[in-house]
Parts: sequence; C-alpha cells; structure tokens
Amino acid sequence: MKRIETSRRKFLQGSVALCVYATSSFSFTKQKSSRSTFENIPYLCNMCRNKCAGFAQVIDNKVEKLNPNKYFPKSRNMLCPKGNAGIDALYDKDRLKYPLLRIGKRGDGRYKRVTWDEANEYIKDKLVKIIDEEKDNRSTIAYCNGEGFNKDEYIKFFGSKVGSSNFLDEGSICLNTKLGATQLTLGDIGEMDVSGSDYLIISGANRYESLITPDSVDMIHSKQKLIVLDPRCSVTALKADEYLPLNPGTDLAFCLSMIYISIKEKLYNEKYVKNYFKDFDKLEKHILKHNYTAKWAESKTHIPSKKIEQITKEFFSAQNPLYYLGRRSVWAQNDFQLRRAMVLINALAGSVNKKGGIIFGQPFIIQDEEINEPFYNASAGRFDLDGIVYGSQKGGSWLNFREKVINKMSPYPIRSMFIRKHNIMQNMPNISKTKKMLNMMDLVVVFDTMPSDTAMMADVILPECTYLEREDMVVSFNRLEPSLALRNKVVEPLYESKSMQDILKDLGKKLSKPLFEISLKYDEDLQDSIKEFGLENSFIDGGYDLAELYKNNVSMRNKKLIFKQFGEDIYNSLKTKGVWHPYIDQEKELYNNYYEYYPKEKRYYTVDRKYKVNCYLSKLKKYGFDPMPTWHSNYDFSLTDDSFRLITGRYITSTQTASTNNSMLRDFKEQNNVWINDKVADKLNIKEDDYIVLSSSINSIVIQAYPTNKIAPQVLWLAHGFGTSSEELTNAYGKGASDNLIIEDRFEKIYGCATMHETNITIRKL
Amino acid sequence: MANYGMAFDYKLCINCHACEVACKEENGIDLGAKNHRLWIQEDGKVEGDFWNLDRNKMNFMQMQCQECQDAPCLKACPNGAIYIDNNRIVRLYKERCDLTLACMKACPYEARYIDEKNHITDKCIFCADTRLSRGEVTTACQITCPSKLRYFGDLDDKESEISIVLKERTYFTLKSELGTKPKLFYLE
Repeated sequence: MKRIETSRRKFLQGSVALCVYATSSFSFTKQKSSRSTFENIPYLCNMCRNKCAGFAQVIDNKVEKLNPNKYFPKSRNMLCPKGNAGIDALYDKDRLKYPLLRIGKRGDGRYKRVTWDEANEYIKDKLVKIIDEEKDNRSTIAYCNGEGFNKDEYIKFFGSKVGSSNFLDEGSICLNTKLGATQLTLGDIGEMDVSGSDYLIISGANRYESLITPDSVDMIHSKQKLIVLDPRCSVTALKADEYLPLNPGTDLAFCLSMIYISIKEKLYNEKYVKNYFKDFDKLEKHILKHNYTAKWAESKTHIPSKKIEQITKEFFSAQNPLYYLGRRSVWAQNDFQLRRAMVLINALAGSVNKKGGIIFGQPFIIQDEEINEPFYNASAGRFDLDGIVYGSQKGGSWLNFREKVINKMSPYPIRSMFIRKHNIMQNMPNISKTKKMLNMMDLVVVFDTMPSDTAMMADVILPECTYLEREDMVVSFNRLEPSLALRNKVVEPLYESKSMQDILKDLGKKLSKPLFEISLKYDEDLQDSIKEFGLENSFIDGGYDLAELYKNNVSMRNKKLIFKQFGEDIYNSLKTKGVWHPYIDQEKELYNNYYEYYPKEKRYYTVDRKYKVNCYLSKLKKYGFDPMPTWHSNYDFSLTDDSFRLITGRYITSTQTASTNNSMLRDFKEQNNVWINDKVADKLNIKEDDYIVLSSSINSIVIQAYPTNKIAPQVLWLAHGFGTSSEELTNAYGKGASDNLIIEDRFEKIYGCATMHETNITIRKL
Repeated sequence: MANYGMAFDYKLCINCHACEVACKEENGIDLGAKNHRLWIQEDGKVEGDFWNLDRNKMNFMQMQCQECQDAPCLKACPNGAIYIDNNRIVRLYKERCDLTLACMKACPYEARYIDEKNHITDKCIFCADTRLSRGEVTTACQITCPSKLRYFGDLDDKESEISIVLKERTYFTLKSELGTKPKLFYLE
C-alpha cells in the first residue's frame, strides 16, 4: 500500500481566476454552415525547433485540438505540452494582425495600422534612398532569421536576390561550436543514436526539460544506463542512473580525464583507432604529458576520482556507448574544444558510424529549386567573421557583428535590418547593445506573429501567419530512420497575416524595378549588359525579378518538386499522413501507442564512408589556439566568496521567448525564479519568493528566489524566456526577469559564439 | 459497454505537463492552477545536501479521479447527481448539481474542482464527452504522453493491453485502506 498526499497544485503561484479558455473565448466570426465539417489535417509543429508531427482536429475551420501523429519516426507519436498548446499560439489575442507603421519613437510602442501596400511602399522608399546613398552596396542591409523552416527561402530572397552578404541566425548563440567540432573532427555533423546506445553520458544538456526529438523520447524508452553531469539537479539528473554534480564549466576536465584514462589504461578501441584516427600519436602524447588523471579532474570538477575512473571503465566496456554532444552549447570559452573532446571520446570507443554512436546515416536529399541570382559588383562581403578562426559562413557571429556595428568598426555602415522569427532584443547577451544597434538603423523591418520586444523596435511590422496557417516546403528529417515530412496548412491565415512567401512576393514586386534602377546607375557590368542585350532582357536574364521564386505558391511548388523527385504516391502520403518513409505501411506498435518505424535491420547505423578522426587541427595552431583539447588555468571554477556563476536553462513549458505569451503554457509557469542553494540562502536570510537583485558588470535584474538543495552553492540558475519588455504581450509583460539583461556579452573566437555561462553575479535581498 | 480503467507506469514520468495541457485543450477546462481534471504531483523530495543528494525518494505521480468502484462522492451527493455510466465511469448529471460540494469533501483523492463556467463539480471522466463519444478508445492524456506511461482500456476485456499489463506486473492503488476500490493502478 502506498500513501500519497493529494494536496492540489497549490504550490503553483497564484491562480489565474480571471483568465478564460483562449479558444472558447475566441471571437473570430465565421458563417456557420448548417452542417459541421470535421477534418483531421496533418501538420508539423513549430512551437520549438523539433518539428514534431501532429494531426489538427478542425471543426468548421476552427482548430479544436492538436494530437500526435503516429507516422513520424522523429517525434514517436507524442506531442509535448508546448505542442499541445499550439492552439493558443494560433488564437493568441495579442497576435500581430495587420501591417503596422511606427508613429512614435522607436521602442515606445506607438504604431498605426496600414495596408500591405502602404507598408511595402514605405519600405521601398527607405531602401531606395539607403541603397542609392551606399552606391548599390546591398550588404548595407543585414537580415536575420532564427531557427525554423523557410529560413533558406528567406536567405534566397535577401541574400541571393537582393544581394546582401550579412545574414545572421541563431547558430552563434546556440550550437555552432558543437556542429563545428563534429564536422572538423569527423568530417560530418552526424547524428547521435540515443535509441541504440546502452551507456549514455549527458553532460549539461537537459533532455527531459528541454525536449529534443527523438533523443528525449528514446532516453525514456531505451534501457541504457544514463549518467548525467550538471551543476544543477535537473529532471534529467533526477531520472539518471547516476548523477554527478560538478562545478560549472568544468566538463572539459572530466572529458580530458576520460581520454587520459582510456589511453593510459588502453581502454580505447585499438582497432578503430588504428584504422580511423589521424594524429593519434599527437593526442596520446599531449594527453599523457598534461597528466589529466582522475585525481587532477577531481580537483577541477568536484567529482570524486574513483567515480571518474568507474564511469570511464564502464563507458569503454559498454557495447554501444554514447557521450551526448549536447545541443544548445557554448557555455564558455573552451566550448569548441569541449565538444571536440566529447567527439574524441566517442571515437576512442569506436562509437562512430555504428549503432548507438555518432552515426552518418543516409538522409533524403531534396533537390533545390533553381533560381536566377543577380550579381552585384558593389555588394561587399561580410565582416563579422574577422578575427574568428572558423565561424559559420552562413549565419555568422552575432556578437562580433553587433560589436562592429555599434562601434562603427564595420568596413561599411549597416543601415537597415530585416528581422524574421528572431527575437534579437531577448535572445542574446547584453540587450542594451542590441537596442543601441537597432537605434542606429535607418530602417528596421520585423516579420513576426507576435508583438515581441524586437517588433517594438521596428519601423514596419509585417504580420506573418503562424505555422498552422500555411504550407511550407517539404523537409527531409534524420539520418538513422530518414523520412520526409510536410507542414500542411490547417486553417487559412487569420486577420491580414500572410505566409513569408506571400509577404516576399509582394515586397519583391515592389522592390525589383526601383532597386534595379540603382544597380543600373552604379554597376558598369550591368550597363554593358544593357547595351548588348537590352533593358528588359538584362532585367529578366540577370535575375533582377526579386519575386521570381514566389511566382507559384508553395502548394504548387511542393507538388511539382515532390512529384518530380519522389513521385505521386509519396506526395499523397505527405498530404494525407504528413509524413513518408519507406516502411510507413509496415509500422509496428510495440506497446501502448509506441511504434517501431524502420525495422532494425533497415536502419542506417553504418554506411560505407571514408573518413578520418582528426585529433589535431593545424589551422587552430596557426592562429594561436589549442590544436587539441587542453585545460587552462583560467577555466578553473574559482569565485570570490560573495559571488555566484550564472547558468541558464529552460522550463519544459517554454521555448525561449517565442512561447512567452502563450496563455496555456503560462498557466503552468507564469514567471521564472532564480534557483539558489538552500544553505547559502539560509545564510543570507533569503526565503522562497523573496525578491532579490542579481547584478553583473553590465546590469541588474530583480527576481524571486527559489532556495533548493538541487543547485551547487556558488551557482545561480534561471530559465530563459521571461522578463519581456513589450507591453503588447499582455500575458507576459512584467512577469519574471530576462537573463540576457545581465549576461555579459563575450564570445569565443573559434566560431564566434556567445559564451552564455561565464557571468559572475552578486546578489542582494530587496 | 466497457469497464474502463487506467494504469500508470509512473516511474517513467518526466513531469512534462503534456497530459495536463492535452486534457485542458481536449475538454475545454478553464485556465488556472486549481482547475484541472488531472495533475502531476511530486511525491517525496530530493534529500541531502547538493554534493550528496538522495534522488530516490522522489517520484512524479499521475493524479486524477481514481474511478472508485465504491465511490464516496456518489454516496455523498444529496441530489443524486452522481452516477456510474455504461462504461463504468463515475459521471455527473450536470443539471442536478447545485454545488453542495459534498462530493468534493467526500473524495479522498481531492479529484474534483469547481467548474465555474458550468457551475458544477468537474473531474476526469476519461474523455467520455469527447473521444469515447466518438468511438475512440483513448484519452487525450494517454495519446500525447511522451513516456507512453498511461495504459487505458477495458478491464473486463482480458485481451486489452491494460488487462495484460495488470496481469504481468505488480501494482498498487492509492489509499487502498479506505476500501474505495480505485480503477487506477500504479505499476511497480
């Protein structure tokens, strides 16, 4: 017999008595036919980066319920709380409904409603002036887009067609070090096979509160031994077979010690190392020379040396061990080499291109549609990778970019920004600098679904429809169990919102000729071409029709593309099931709505591939950085007695700031609070819900305290996604505090990524 | 006609709240922490100091109406508003409820709340008004759960997955000493 105290969720702060159920209060009027229509439409979620598949239950053109889609190998027939709350994103009363033009000062939130044509006309007039003054240097326009579908289409417009070199995305504030480290070490970014691993070490990542599909789901359903290292006892740590609490930023010391022990005691897979490693001798010499023993690692990490030895031995004797590489990475200056060390540990165990390891697999390749790209002689190159060893040529380095712009160190001025699905006023450290950057612009245009903090800095706000109101281009997913999936349109766009493609089509039509005229004025090659081929031919053949890609709507483009490359049956599967993979008709229910997708023998655990494991990166050496993972004394975790290291994370019910206003999700977690070690809080007389001030070198925030034994004594943790400053987000405004107000803006120099966990904080009770 | 029950592989719960959101969306439950047909409750706590935590004393428990076969709420209602339906689910004649709250006081599991929109005491009814009425033998919480820890089905059908699971594994019920005979089972 078991006793459970059944006290209600009274511990949740405050009840939201006045809130009404969002969908039932929704007042969008529609003529009802006498008979209700009931549809089940397959779609792909967009509440976070995962793109899980679901079916939307639609009655009379209103979305009533979102349910999981059993056909998608990636999301394994589940929808998380955010996915379930997608209805409240669609019917959020605060959504952007019409194009808006700023009438007040930037940031004061005063806008007037305009027509789409008026908005586009305004953008055209401003851009013509800017680009003319910059003598056709299109790179004076910077454009950015956070994670999600359509990013590449957006790049095609502003990059390929309009001609700017300055694209920025979330990579440099998220995971580029991890991608780069895997690519440079193995020649591929790979994919981690969590489902096939029998021994899994997760260092810092929090797969049970920040869900990644299929990894999180596979962890629940697989029987592997799970080891979690974290300075905070997260839910992932709670559920682990072994939890190793450690000092923040010292994971690299743990990894180096694992490498040391494996080499010293010859635990590594000798056959694999012999066949695949390049410069193993250099690695061996380097690791042994530095004497990264378990005792040494204990002094850095606070993990007992015996435990480090035990874990290392278990890892290297497991059949299919996996050291999880993380997702959002970039905590500290050493992050690139931390991720490299993780890759090398997997490789030393032979866990590459093999079940349970880092696999290469065989993704479906979708051929790109061809577009005609104009060439602009005056368009200058990007500058944000100056001083960065590798960096992403695609998404650049946000902090380096912003620093150069605000200090007027860029080789040419950035005068305009087009911002889509990227809340830059909340998503990167030191918000005051982002504000300063936007205030320097002659034109800021924001595409969004919600009046975010960033939208409130725009001159023109263009209301985009949500993911449930549009079809997107077909996407290929995963490598081990590859599939195709399609986001079908569930309902028509509400209000005057439009899909990105429709927005760019009209904007392209408006801009094409006037911008062409400017090129004509400055570009001698174009002038020559006109002499030879005539004006109209030069315009068309030169690719200056900016709306070219969007002549056909997405639905028609998908049909043409999928028919041509994959055939009609696959197209039909994508339209009716949202998904296609070769074994979709043979899916087997293993138990309780949990399915097997690819039969085990058909999964791409191992593929025929020539590759090397690169231990030594000589380019790094050339630029004065460590060619191999190395510990430096400035990585040591040492703080003065009265200060704390700030680390950040997520609640399972929020995704950055995109879901911050969602009424359903706010019902679970209305605001963030700061985790502080209970004994430390006791000493400082800080009690639960006391207001405390957190101060870094750049700013302060006020936040309520949550004293707990589940966090290390000199560490503070708070969830990202709160403390919004836009008053238009009426559910979110004034609730909780924003981490990026106080996180100091530093970036590492290998990939130009913001190092999010290096800020020291002092605290004061209010 | 069935005898519906639910079994929880409760140790697999990661407290993600998907079940709670799915339930609220499916059944149109008002927002607010006190309004819910189901909730996840932390049972026990993590003890010790940070470097030596004992994590084994804490579990996430799935809480909702236990579908008692001898339901105290049914006996307590002065208006005879509570009945057992064809699928052996404890239900409410909404028009007979005048919020005496006797059922709420009688329920040892605190499974009911006041539905202010409809002026009734509401609780989990296994999605009887939505999914079951459409002929689907699923509940919103069960189908969405990432852990797939909720087994739902007909206890009288020996071939049903829940019957098989209950035959193969050991389980407990909550507050079994009260003799309410819950039809919700927690799998060990």
